[in-house]
Amino acid sequence: MSLQKKTLHRYRQFFPNETLREVSARTGIQITRVFRLFNGKTMKVGELEAFESAVSLKIAENPSFARLTEVLDEASAVLTNEELSKVADYISRKVLSRTYSRLYIRSQIENAIIA
Amino acid sequence: MKGLSSLERIVLDSINKNQLTYNEVLNQSGLHENVCFNILQAMVIRGILSTDGVRYRVSENLSPMIHEELNGLEARQAECLELIEAVVDQKAPRIFRFQKIAMDERDEKIFNAMLTNLEMFLVDAHKKAQTSVPMKSRKVVFWGVGEVQSLMKQIVQGGAV
Repeated sequence: MSLQKKTLHRYRQFFPNETLREVSARTGIQITRVFRLFNGKTMKVGELEAFESAVSLKIAENPSFARLTEVLDEASAVLTNEELSKVADYISRKVLSRTYSRLYIRSQIENAIIA
Repeated sequence: MKGLSSLERIVLDSINKNQLTYNEVLNQSGLHENVCFNILQAMVIRGILSTDGVRYRVSENLSPMIHEELNGLEARQAECLELIEAVVDQKAPRIFRFQKIAMDERDEKIFNAMLTNLEMFLVDAHKKAQTSVPMKSRKVVFWGVGEVQSLMKQIVQGGAV
């Protein structure tokens, strides 16, 4: 995955239901440009930074994130492979359960049908 | 991630050997409608469930690899932990006791006999009510015993000993 795709994917993970207008307001990028970027147009460095900065600000709202990355760094050095696998599995389960409640696939399908 | 999440397991158990519509799965599982729909779609994509567009059922001829993935020991352990954690985190009303009990040999035998009785009662209760009580209203019951020393050893070594 290219850096641009990764950045947009990461942005969508943090703001899954944002409209193009809301993305535009948050990043300061014009709405038509946001549409093009989500459709694969190549990003400029400034635009990439705008998306990264929006994600960083969101992360900063949650101080536990810094602790998590710190602990994971330490864990990767200390824990056995089996233990790391358990930790990864535990986090994956948390993420999956949350993802199911965050993705409004049905509403999106209904909206698409209505549109 | 190995196995199924507790949410996915509830959906799978709700369908079990039946063919259920979306509304029936919703009724059985008690999940929020979006969550239920997303899980059903995800499980259809993974090939665990199949649908004719109206009814969902567990796919026939699941490969042994998928069977192992769904019902393997590690997957079931992770699922247990997920549910136990949810019970521990639950706000009132909650029943949860955790104690380190000093027990002599005689009392340990009595305790084990009582556990056997409890298990028999639960098996009977489940048989009696499994068709009338929907999945969402079933109770999560668990128990377990371990000796402090061996558990501590296990924790220090980072795995089963």
